[in-house]
Amino acid sequence: MDTELTPRRAKLELLVRGEDDATFELRQVSAAAAWIKMRPQRLPGGEFELAEVTSPVDRQRRFILKNAATERYLMLSEPERFLWERMDGRTSLQDLATAYVLKYGQFDFEVIPTLIRKLQRAQLLTLSPGSRVRRALQRNRRRRVLQAAEHALTALERINVSSRRVHPFFDRVYRYGGFLLFTPAAVVACLGLAALGLVAGVQLWREADEVAKGLGANPLAALIVVKLLFLATLALHQLVHGLALVHYGRRVREFGFTFLHGFVPTFYVDVTDIFMASRRARIVTAVSGTLVHLVLGTLWFLLAVRSPDGGFVQAFAAASGMIQLQAFVIALYPFCFIEMDGYHVLADVLGLPTLKHDALAYAGALARGAAPGPWGWESGLWVSYVVLSGVSVAAFVAFNVWMIVHAMS
Amino acid sequence: MPSAAETATFLKTVRLFKEFADPELLAFASRLHARSLRRGQVLFREGDHGDEMFVVREGSVIISKAVTGRVEQVLGRESVGSFFGEMSLFDRSPRSATIQAETDVELLGLDRDNLNLLIEVNPRAAAAFFHALVQVFIERLRASGNLVAEVTRWGLEATGLDVEGR
Repeated sequence: MDTELTPRRAKLELLVRGEDDATFELRQVSAAAAWIKMRPQRLPGGEFELAEVTSPVDRQRRFILKNAATERYLMLSEPERFLWERMDGRTSLQDLATAYVLKYGQFDFEVIPTLIRKLQRAQLLTLSPGSRVRRALQRNRRRRVLQAAEHALTALERINVSSRRVHPFFDRVYRYGGFLLFTPAAVVACLGLAALGLVAGVQLWREADEVAKGLGANPLAALIVVKLLFLATLALHQLVHGLALVHYGRRVREFGFTFLHGFVPTFYVDVTDIFMASRRARIVTAVSGTLVHLVLGTLWFLLAVRSPDGGFVQAFAAASGMIQLQAFVIALYPFCFIEMDGYHVLADVLGLPTLKHDALAYAGALARGAAPGPWGWESGLWVSYVVLSGVSVAAFVAFNVWMIVHAMS
Repeated sequence: MPSAAETATFLKTVRLFKEFADPELLAFASRLHARSLRRGQVLFREGDHGDEMFVVREGSVIISKAVTGRVEQVLGRESVGSFFGEMSLFDRSPRSATIQAETDVELLGLDRDNLNLLIEVNPRAAAAFFHALVQVFIERLRASGNLVAEVTRWGLEATGLDVEGR
């Protein structure tokens, strides 16, 4: 019945020729997909004014936005001002919606389209499509390497195996045992395993040279197999996120496999419905998935400790355990420029949904000597985030390089 | 290569030739020339010179128009029994769209000389041909109008432009 009442979303069918002109591809582009990728760009700084007014009646903060060129005025509510400040030409409508939900804990599906219409009427906004990486690649198509990179990204981005009818599956898994993961006993078991893993890790670390030798004549190939095996465990990580949703009575909307940003193979689960639940639920959902790596890492380490010294099994298990524990730390550690589970927890706790975005923008301005306003707690947080993330990423890269060199020597 | 009799049997199923008598079809079939395309092969491109139209005997072709760079908009498809390329045949202007084989395709081509011959030799059959042609033109005109509306709707939805509120 709904399909008769709701008009079908418009789609365009496009034919895209290959570089060689002999091949082609047909693509269907829906208007809805194009819309959420739009990056609204407000007028440059000097071309508008924003003034705050507080109503003497209800004491609510409101803002008057003025287009300096056309002298048109708009009244913005606090949430609308929040969105306006993020319309910097870099944040997509999809990201705006996420930031809004994180900030206000709820979402009114009309708030963004309504504000955009208002701003467009007042000529305060332009909309530009597409990702910056792809635009940069398009601009430099004449360079063969970048052209190849663009093709590769396009091909990989299109790989997406997913299903939107997964909720019954997650529901069943939860009922047939998944619920046990969200009990106090599971927390105690996790802590116990973490302690055991730590002890095993220290023991293996002391014999690191001997353990590494077990990888044999081709340690690099062995490490690649370890990485591939790790990839499979990402599905388990996402499965637990989904079970957490079920635990809090929310719906799992999608589960699948894709290439993140066109080159990072990953499994994913759509957990957006958890925004309708409490902050505690959001934090438990984020953290629970990462615990998969803690448990698996510990189990691998225990296997390594119990395997014959200097053998392949010990080395393989130790390497697998190491990569799982690295994944646990990376997923939970918020300072690495990647918006993973720990970052979302931090942003949620601080109440700064666009922390990374704002921090990078501030650091950029600081580097150019154009940092706005006086130093405050927010700017302190931003600088801390950038510094901590920079140091952490450098340390992570150095550690991995050292480990590979050590394994090969 | 199909025989004239086989081609005539096929043409009997084509809307353009529905009103042709069997002997007329047999005579007409011998004036058409067969053409094969492999999947993905371009028959002609937008802007090319052309003076013949084609009937699809097997497979399907994509009709597309350049939009930007290597991107073209798909205007439609023609499959078994339908025809394309008639515009350049009549107005002698360059091809208005690109035709590309979506599958392996068998075509029958009719050029201007043979069309003129049909008009001279068999005016009754030619009149039936043009009558059917006009009917298809009307349908395509309607489809073009619908496509314009659909593309406009796509643009409005993709940009979130509020036209009603202005």
